[in-house]
Amino acid sequence: MGMDSQTKALIVGRLEQMVGPRAVLHRYEDLVAYECDGYTIHKGVPSIVVFPKSTQEVSDVVRLLHQNRIPYLPRGAGTGLSGGATALNGEVVISLVRMNKLLDVDYANRKAVVQPGFVNLKLSNSIASKGYYYAPDPSSQAACTIGGNVAENAGGAHCLKYGVTTNHVIGLELVLPDGEIVRIGGVPDAPGYDLLGFLTGSEGTMGIVTEITVRILRKPQGVLTVLALYDEVNDASQAVSDIISAGIVPAALEMMDRTAIEAVESGNYPVGYPSDLGAVLIVEVDGIAAGLQEQIERVMEVCRKHRVREVRQSRDPQERTRWWANRKTAFGAMGTISPDYMVQDGVIPRSKLPEVLARIGEVSSKYGLRIANVFHAGDGNLHPLILYNSMEDGEKERAVRAGSEVLKVCADVGGSITGEHGVGIEKMEDMRFIFTEEEMNAQMQVRDVFNPDNLCNPGKVFPKPARCVELKRSAPLIHSS
Amino acid sequence: MSDPSHGNLEKYLYPKSNYKWEDAPDPAKFSECVHCGMCLEACPTYQQTGLEAHSPRGRVYLIKSVAEGKLTLNDFFADPVNTCLDCRACETACPAGVQVGALVEEARGQLYKEDPPAGLRGVLHKIFLRGLFPYASRMRKLSLLTRWYQRSGVRFIARKTGLLRILPKHLQEMEQALPNLTTKPVLGRIHERLAPFGLKRAKVAMLTGCVMDAVFADINEATVNVLRHNGCEVWIPPSQSCCGALHVHAGDRDTAKQLAKQNIDTFLSDDIDAIIINAAGCGSTLKEYGELLKSDPEYADKAHLFAEKTVDVSSFLDRLGLIPPKGRLELTVTYHDACHLAHAQGIRVEPRRLLEAVPGVQLVPLPDSDRCCGSAGIYNLTHPEMAGELLDRKMNDIPDGCDAVVMGNPGCMMQFMVGVVRHNRNEQIMHTIQLLDLAYRGEETSTEAERAEHSKASRSQAS
Ligand SMILES: Cc1cc2nc3c(=O)[nH]c(=O)nc-3n(C[C@H](O)[C@H](O)[C@H](O)COP(=O)(O)OP(=O)(O)OC[C@H]3O[C@@H](n4cnc5c(N)ncnc54)[C@H](O)[C@@H]3O)c2cc1C
Ligand code: SF4
Ligand code: SF4
Repeated sequence: MGMDSQTKALIVGRLEQMVGPRAVLHRYEDLVAYECDGYTIHKGVPSIVVFPKSTQEVSDVVRLLHQNRIPYLPRGAGTGLSGGATALNGEVVISLVRMNKLLDVDYANRKAVVQPGFVNLKLSNSIASKGYYYAPDPSSQAACTIGGNVAENAGGAHCLKYGVTTNHVIGLELVLPDGEIVRIGGVPDAPGYDLLGFLTGSEGTMGIVTEITVRILRKPQGVLTVLALYDEVNDASQAVSDIISAGIVPAALEMMDRTAIEAVESGNYPVGYPSDLGAVLIVEVDGIAAGLQEQIERVMEVCRKHRVREVRQSRDPQERTRWWANRKTAFGAMGTISPDYMVQDGVIPRSKLPEVLARIGEVSSKYGLRIANVFHAGDGNLHPLILYNSMEDGEKERAVRAGSEVLKVCADVGGSITGEHGVGIEKMEDMRFIFTEEEMNAQMQVRDVFNPDNLCNPGKVFPKPARCVELKRSAPLIHSS
Repeated sequence: MSDPSHGNLEKYLYPKSNYKWEDAPDPAKFSECVHCGMCLEACPTYQQTGLEAHSPRGRVYLIKSVAEGKLTLNDFFADPVNTCLDCRACETACPAGVQVGALVEEARGQLYKEDPPAGLRGVLHKIFLRGLFPYASRMRKLSLLTRWYQRSGVRFIARKTGLLRILPKHLQEMEQALPNLTTKPVLGRIHERLAPFGLKRAKVAMLTGCVMDAVFADINEATVNVLRHNGCEVWIPPSQSCCGALHVHAGDRDTAKQLAKQNIDTFLSDDIDAIIINAAGCGSTLKEYGELLKSDPEYADKAHLFAEKTVDVSSFLDRLGLIPPKGRLELTVTYHDACHLAHAQGIRVEPRRLLEAVPGVQLVPLPDSDRCCGSAGIYNLTHPEMAGELLDRKMNDIPDGCDAVVMGNPGCMMQFMVGVVRHNRNEQIMHTIQLLDLAYRGEETSTEAERAEHSKASRSQAS
C-alpha cells in the first residue's frame, strides 16, 4: 500500500495547515521509531505520523484521509502487545499522545473525564489525595494511555474483584471513520443497545476515541497482601482454586512460575525469591478494615494446606509496593534473560491450569524455546512468555508457531485466545480456533457499519481469507462499501 | 564473517552497521530492550514532546537501527541522541535494566567522530571541554577572573551599559544568577592533607571537581570541614584532573579517557578508604570509569578498583554514621533529587537522612522530586528551550514557604539559581553539605537571615 510521493507531499501539506508543522512527521528517519508497538514480530513504517491536539483536529485529519481514501490508525503509547498500533502497510498514524489532559473530576458523582492520551496511572495519582483511584490497573499503567485501554479493554491484577476497563467506562466521544464526531453513553445504563460495551475492546477499528468518561472509586479502607512460595506449580494452582471456592473474593490473585521468577529476580526490582522456587502466589484482599485480617488468615490457611514452603503477610506498605513492582515489571524483565519475547494472552478455566501448564511445557520442548508463565490466576488469564532470539535464524518463526500452539491448547480446554491484549496482527489467524468463518463474517459486518471503507486500522483482528469468503458469500448486512 | 572473539562483536552481529569507529553502542546493551515502553513516561523529553524518537525506547531503537544499517550517522539521528538529557530516569523505570545512558553516550561518541561539533555547540566545546575543564590551572584563573569581574565594578558597568544584552537570553540569566564567588578555589590553596577533628575514623581523598571548585569553592571547603568533623583525614591530591563527565556526555570519549587515566594514577597512588565526590554528575562518571575504559588492557582493572572506591559524600557520611551537628538551623527546606544521584547512583534516602539529622531543619517533600531540572551538564546551553521548559516546571513544583532548596549537584544548583532569577523567587539554593556545614559551624538563624538579606540585596542590584 502506501502513497505515491506526490500524494504524500500534498497530504503532508494539508495536515501541516491543520495541526501545524511541528505536529506532522514524514521523513523516514523520523518515522522509524514508530515501526512497531510492544509487539515486535511484525513491523511497518508509517507514511506519516500526525499529532492532533483536539477532537476537532482529529476530526479534520480523519475527514481529509477519508476523502482521499488513505488508510490510517490510532496510536496511544504503543505498549500494545498484539500489534494493533503497528502500520503494517504504511498507514498514517494518528498519535493521541498530545491529547493528554485530565478534563474534569466530579467527586460527587464519582467520575472523571480524560483525553485519550492521558496516562492510566496519572489518573489515580491525580485523585489520590482526595482518597480516590481508577481501578483498572494493567501492568503497563505507568505508560499506557486510557484511550489505548478502551481500545483493548485492558485488564489488570486488580480486575478480578473490580472488573476490566469496560466496567469502568461510562461515556465516550468518538470520531467516526468518516470524521463525524459522536458522543455515546454518559448516563448509567442508557436505553438502547450497549454501544459502549461494543466499542470498548474494538481495537481501534471503529473510530478514534477522543474523550472518555470513567468511573472513579474510593480507595479501600484497608489492603492486606500475602506472598506464598511453592516448590511445585501444581500445588500453587490447587491453592488458587481452593481460595476461590472458599468464597473469598481477593482483590488480586497472581502467580509466576520458575522461569518468570528467574527473570524478575535478575531485573531492576528483585524481591529476593529463592532461585529454586516452583511458583509464587501474590494474594491481596481489600475493603473495609474490619474483617480483613480474618480474610487474609483464611487465605493463608488455604495456602498452607497445599504444601506451601513459606507464606507471609507484607510487613509494611513499602514491602507490598516492592512485591507489586516486581510482579508488574515481569514482562520487561524478560529482557534480562532473553533478547526477545512474545507474550501470549490465553484464558482458561482455572481448574485446567495444571493440565495447561503441562501441555505448554510440551510445546516448549517441542520447539526448543523457553516459556515463562505469568498468570492473573484469579480470572484464569494466562500469559505464557515465549523467549527467543530474533538474531538466530528461524527462531522468530518457531516462536510464532509455538505461540499459536499455546493458544490452541487454551482454546481446546474451553478457554479463549485473548484475555486483555487484543487480537491485533498477532492473533488474527488464531481467531479460527474459536470462531467459524460465518461467525467472523457476522462480526465484520458489524464493523462495516462503523467503518464501511475499512480505512480505520485495516488488516487487523480478522484473518484475511475470511474477508474474501465474506465478499463471495454474503451480502453486507446494512452498508455496502 | 570473522570469528567474534577476534574482532569487533558489534561488526560481527551487525555486518551492515553504520557505526564506523571503535567503542560503538554495545549490542549486549541494546538487545536487552524488549520495546515494552515502561520507560516512556519517566523521560522528561518524551513528557515534553510526546515523540517516540525523544523517548528512551525510541532512542534505543534508533541506536539499534544504525547498527542494522537502517539509519546512518546523520543529523536526523543526531537530534534524538543529542536531545537526551542523560538524566537516567529511564534506567530507574526500565524493568530490564537497559543502560540507556551508556548507549546514548556511545552513540554520541560515534557522532562526535563522524561530525565534530560546529556552530555554537562547537565553540562551547572548544572553549570549555578541550580548552578549559581539563586544566585545573586555567579553571582556577577563570574563577579568579570571575571574582575580579564581580567585584571590580566591571560587572556593574557591563550591566549598566547593556553590554550583556549581546549574549543569548539564557547566558544573560546565568550571568545574573552566578553566585558571588567569595571563596577562592580549594585545589592548590588549602593544605593537601588535613587531619580530622577528633578521633580518626577514615582516610579519604577528595576530588574537587572543576565547575565545583571554580564556582562553588565554598562547597568544597564545607565538604572538607564536614568530613573532618566526622573523623576523616582528608587528602586533596594536587595532580588530580577534571572527571571527564562533560566530555563523555558530549561524545568526546578520547579526552575523557585521558582524564580518567590521570585520575586513576593519582588517586590509586596512596592507600585510602574512599574517593569522595560531592558533585553527582562527576560521581556517576567516576563510577563508570570501568565502562569507559573497558577495552583498555592496561587500565580496565584499575578503573574498576577506582570506581569501587568512589562514593558520593552523602552516602559516605550516611554509611560511616554521621556525628550529628549541634548547631540549630530553623529552616524549612525541600530536597531535589539530582538525576545523577537518584537515577544514576540510586542515592535518595541518604541525603534526606543527613538533612533530617540537623536540629531544627524541617524537610518538606518536593513533588516529582526526581524529574530532571533541565541542567544536564551543558544541556542548558545547547538546548535552552527544552531546558527552560523543564526548569519552569521544576520552579512551579517548589512548595510554598521553603527557605531553601537543597541538592547534591553543582550543575543543578546553577540551573536552580537561574530559575530563582527568572521566577523572582527568594529560596536559597544550597548543597546538602553546605547545610550540614552551617550546622557544624553552629551558625544561628540570625546569621542565616543576614545571609538571605545579603543575597537578596545582591540580586536586586542585579536587576
Ligand atoms: C509490560 C507490559 C505489560 C502489560 N500489561 C498489561 C496488563 O496487565 N493488562 C492489559 O490489559 N494489557 C497489558 N499490556 C498491554 C497494553 O499495555 C494495553 O493493551 C494498553 O491498553 C495499550 O495502551 P496504549 O496506549 O499503549 O495503546 P497502543 O498500543 O498505542 O494501541 C493499542 C490499540 O489501541 C488502539 N488505540 C489507541 N488509542 C486509541 C484511541 N484513542 N481510540 C481508538 N483506538 C485507539 C490502537 O489502534 C491499537 O489497536 C501490557 C503491555 C506491556 C508492554
Ligand atoms: S536519560 Fe533521561 S532524557 Fe535520556 S532517554 Fe533516559 S529519561 Fe530520557
Ligand atoms: S528501555 Fe527498558 S523500559 Fe524502555 S522499552 Fe526498553 S526494555 Fe522497556
